[in-house]
Amino acid sequence: MVLIALKNRLKILRAERDWSQAELAGRLDVSRQAVNAIETGKHDPSLPLAFRIARLFDMRIEDIFDDGEHA
Amino acid sequence: MIFPTDQQLGPGEARTRKRQRNQIIFLGIAGLIGGVIGFATGFFDQGDGSLFAGDWEQLKLPPALALVIVALLIGGLIVLPLWGFRMVDDYKRQHSLIGFTGGCIAVLGGFPIWAALYAGGFVPPPHAFGIFAIAYVAMIASFAFARWRL
Repeated sequence: MVLIALKNRLKILRAERDWSQAELAGRLDVSRQAVNAIETGKHDPSLPLAFRIARLFDMRIEDIFDDGEHA
Repeated sequence: MIFPTDQQLGPGEARTRKRQRNQIIFLGIAGLIGGVIGFATGFFDQGDGSLFAGDWEQLKLPPALALVIVALLIGGLIVLPLWGFRMVDDYKRQHSLIGFTGGCIAVLGGFPIWAALYAGGFVPPPHAFGIFAIAYVAMIASFAFARWRL
């Protein structure tokens, strides 16, 4: 199994809406530490959480997260 | 508004606030149980044994108090951790799993290593509290590593 760290645009999307990490965490029903860990690439969200993030920003998962596999 | 009421929060924010309240309750109950057990065992201990030394034969408590302590231990070391495990999000659950894994591996490796060292005359024989302590310390260390270094 090859583990690939996901890159993501979460920090940018959050900044565009002027949300704090705590505010985004509240909207996603996760801890602020989880948001921080996802933004900094230390933690990959579960699939259900990735869907919640995508729905919150009204985007597709692959528009937010990038595993570097596609050009 | 700086401190919105629960009615003014979104559903996710309300759940987060509720979870934070539950975590404070969790810590409070855990601390209370630990304090009660510590006080009761220290105040009512009738024997000369010591958990740390492993001389179990000399441990002695009033039977009723022993049952109360068992009930508190079931609550503090089994029910509360399971409840807490359900309360946290994926990220914190991952840390807990790493902690539990570290504790489990430490016991699986620690007991035979201790036994071999005892057979070689290096250390006293393995005893239950020592194994418990290995598991507990390894679990805390693994959790701390996952939380702050991974």
